[in-house]
Amino acid sequence: MNTAIIEAKGITKVYSLAAGDFTALREVDLRVEAGEFLAVVGRSGSGKTTLLNLLAGIDRATAGTVTVNGTELGPLGESGLARARSQSIGLVFQFFQLLPTLTVRENVMLPMDFAGLSSAAQRRTRATELLERVGIAEQADKLPSTLSGGQQQRAAIARALANDPPVLLADEPTGNLDSATADSVLALFAALAESGKAVVMVTHDRDASGFANRTVTLTDGRVSADSAVLV
Amino acid sequence: MTRPELRPRTVKLVRDLRLNSGRVLVMVIAIAVAVTGFGAILIAREALVRDAASAYQSTNPAAATLDVADGVDAALLAEIRDRDDIDDATARQIVSTRVLVDGAWLPMRLFIALPGDDLQIARFEVESGEWPASAGGLLLERAAVGLLETEVGQSLTIEGADGSSIDVAVDGRVWDAALPPANQERTGYGFATPALVERLGFAVLSDQLLVTVNDEFGKPTRDQARVDAVAGSVSQWLQAEGYAVHEVTAPPYRHPHQNQTDTVTGLLIAFALASLALAAILVASTLGGMLAAQSRQIGVMKTVGASTGAIVRLYATLTVVVAAIATALALVPAWLAGSALATLVGGILNIDIASVPPSAATLAMIVGAGIAIPLVVAMSPIVRAARVTVRAALADLELRSEGVGRFARLLGRLGGGERATVLAVRNLLRRPRRFIATVGLLAAGGALFLAGINASAAWSTWVDEGLSKRTYDAQLSFEGPVSTEDLATVFAERDDVTTWESLVTLAASPAAVDGSMLVQRIYPDGGHGVFAVTAIDPETQLVHFDVRSGQWLPPGDAGAVVLNQAAATRLGDPALGSTVSLSIEGQVQQWSLVGVIDEVAGPATAYVSTGALDDVLGQGRSATAVRVVMDGATPDSIEALGQRLAAAGMPVASTVPTTELRTAIDQHVTVFIAVLVALALLMAIIGALGLASSMTVSVIERTREFGIMKAIGAPSTVVARLVLTEGLITGFVGFGLATLASLPASILVGSTLGQLSFGLPLPLVISGAAIGVWLAIALLSAALASASAALRSARLTVRESISYQ
Repeated sequence: MNTAIIEAKGITKVYSLAAGDFTALREVDLRVEAGEFLAVVGRSGSGKTTLLNLLAGIDRATAGTVTVNGTELGPLGESGLARARSQSIGLVFQFFQLLPTLTVRENVMLPMDFAGLSSAAQRRTRATELLERVGIAEQADKLPSTLSGGQQQRAAIARALANDPPVLLADEPTGNLDSATADSVLALFAALAESGKAVVMVTHDRDASGFANRTVTLTDGRVSADSAVLV
Repeated sequence: MTRPELRPRTVKLVRDLRLNSGRVLVMVIAIAVAVTGFGAILIAREALVRDAASAYQSTNPAAATLDVADGVDAALLAEIRDRDDIDDATARQIVSTRVLVDGAWLPMRLFIALPGDDLQIARFEVESGEWPASAGGLLLERAAVGLLETEVGQSLTIEGADGSSIDVAVDGRVWDAALPPANQERTGYGFATPALVERLGFAVLSDQLLVTVNDEFGKPTRDQARVDAVAGSVSQWLQAEGYAVHEVTAPPYRHPHQNQTDTVTGLLIAFALASLALAAILVASTLGGMLAAQSRQIGVMKTVGASTGAIVRLYATLTVVVAAIATALALVPAWLAGSALATLVGGILNIDIASVPPSAATLAMIVGAGIAIPLVVAMSPIVRAARVTVRAALADLELRSEGVGRFARLLGRLGGGERATVLAVRNLLRRPRRFIATVGLLAAGGALFLAGINASAAWSTWVDEGLSKRTYDAQLSFEGPVSTEDLATVFAERDDVTTWESLVTLAASPAAVDGSMLVQRIYPDGGHGVFAVTAIDPETQLVHFDVRSGQWLPPGDAGAVVLNQAAATRLGDPALGSTVSLSIEGQVQQWSLVGVIDEVAGPATAYVSTGALDDVLGQGRSATAVRVVMDGATPDSIEALGQRLAAAGMPVASTVPTTELRTAIDQHVTVFIAVLVALALLMAIIGALGLASSMTVSVIERTREFGIMKAIGAPSTVVARLVLTEGLITGFVGFGLATLASLPASILVGSTLGQLSFGLPLPLVISGAAIGVWLAIALLSAALASASAALRSARLTVRESISYQ
């Protein structure tokens, strides 16, 4: 068995609401290896986004452990989690979440700035390379608001790759795109997985999962199916 | 050449500033206004402290002055100078007479020095003309030139010893920094030689022995304890040698108005700091709004690796940039305003303010406060925003959880009434923290504004009330004791004098219970720090002072004394029933304290019953002054009365119309009150800016919500009315709280001002006009601020509103 880049053991997440406790995830176990493109599917409210948030260190599990790239996220504080994300995790959102006052290139350079990994010139060069890789280099000096949805999502993917993390987490990355654009983005994820990244994508779109080499289905907070598709 | 690459976070900071230029402008204006006020007062205070001290000390005032009854001749002076504990000594004379100005007589004090006096002690600077003055002429203190409406080269009409009018040439102008300005004291100050004294018909007698003292090692010292000890020792030696010493004075080595200036500028600095704190709160509040709008961006930055510290540093830098710009903009106005204020206050102290730039330390303090205070106050919202979890930031949970808890229950209970009002109140309470901050800012600004105006009104009321305790039109003081029978004869033939009362007022020196003389703290002008004893009819109808403790003089009790508050303070607040010992004309007399009264516009005074001082005055003499009530008193009729008294052999040394007292009192604090009101206006501006900022933030945050309202059919006017109602409610609540909070603030400011001037707290006066003005400011600024925000919300289309991020 290969070493897991992501390992979730027995994770449970309970939200305390005014109407009472709500359990979003129940004792979920999950292992993801480098090179895997995992699609997490399920109906609305099945716990998909909660799972992704726990894997990204955006939220904390009520029980169980999450380990990413060898680091257990549970004991980390907010700054520790920020550091872990900076080193190991790239995040892609449904609504892109690019900073509106920064150009596309500056958005891509931002994670490198926070990580303090390289010089200004190196950051600029790497950002340009990443934008070329996702196919929008010519848009580098534009503000996000002037780009199409697909271009913004590619910019968001380039930003997620900025610090070369081994893990890429995407929450409904095609939910706001037309089908042709969605397909090109999914193909990009598949290519990234082939290059050795572990890609975890949450989606309610069954077609989108067709690009993945493994699909996990969540139902009422439990893993109801886990079918690996060997390519 | 390529431009240096900025870090993305720096680029974000710059663009955030540009994008939020409206809010940034509000923050910059608020800080700049506050720093201008703070800086101006700090700069003025520095200049005043520096120049007042050096100017006063440059006169080398006497460390102590001994009133030697028979005068000091050259031989005695030489003996005094030979003492090891004496650094230097000289003998002078002070003549009190009157000067004619525009048909009315004003007090005139002549400082007499021998032509051979080297002026090493109590020196003055000759600004025009030459010292010594010509035989029979004089040099005027510069501040008296205007008061006496004369010029160098012209002449003055001065009253001679026999009441005659004598023309005296004004040979020049001098500056004596140890004297308060003549216009404030309503007294002319002149410098002359004994030749003028002779010409005026007064006795030439150098009875003022001025000394500076040495410490135990023979070095000049100003140590008060040492000065007191040496002055006491010289006094005892003189008395042992057979010289009568009537009084020993050793004033503090400070300008007579210096304490007032220090304390009032301290009060003003406190006000200015409060305005800076208000501006800082405004910055924090505005920044909090910006951060709330950027909550999602903060979440995104955290997802790409920004730590809490990095976020804090980013927004702290933004705050520093805003504060630094504002502070830089404020420096020149602060300098100009500070210089103008220093010059104004310098006028009160009769000192020149040098055109010296503020010191590095003062500039550092202004810059430090201008940047540090907003930063410190802003750290709370910055840290709160930076510590938000990624999940909460991305989901904007803060918005979702609005109204949870007590406020949710309160919102739930709100119902009925006019729909727009209920909705507006609910909206305001959705963000309780911001509502409290906005209302607090408005209330604090308003409270300080009202306190400033109230203190000004209280001063006016207080002086009016204080002077209303004196129901006479004028007090005429005689050059020497007169008999009440002679007075009665004169007044019997005057139809215009409806009431008159004689009294005896003499200079006194507090003495120890064993009868030994205590050192007095009278300043070189001979006015500040004096202690008087007044024998008055216990059943007087012309003064009605409020009794603070004990009682007023009981009729028929010659052993009773009543002190005014200034005298009680000077004597260490003795208990009722204790013995008060006073040295009068060299004789120590004792009375039993029966009461303490509040007296506005009077020196420290001990009141005793008529007849108690007759022994001092001499056979057949029982008055040194008379108070009169006249039909239609005018300066001319009062003057005519004085001339009639002089013609009857009772020359008048000074005439003080009661209205003149008011002028003298007001002159002392006019500038401070004006500055207080100016600072109060700054507070009002900052409070109004805070409201404007808060309303704008609130509307921007709810852009999407307004879009939804429009989408379901609400016309733009409804949205605009809602915003306007919110603003007006905020303004009204802020106004109410300001009015309440202004009460303790007014008491505090009034107490400080009153204690400074006459040792009495100002009464609490609530200015209805100020409340009206503040209500107008609060509601008008609320209406303007919310109208501009409402207009913005009304202009947005539904699509623009709903797509707003």
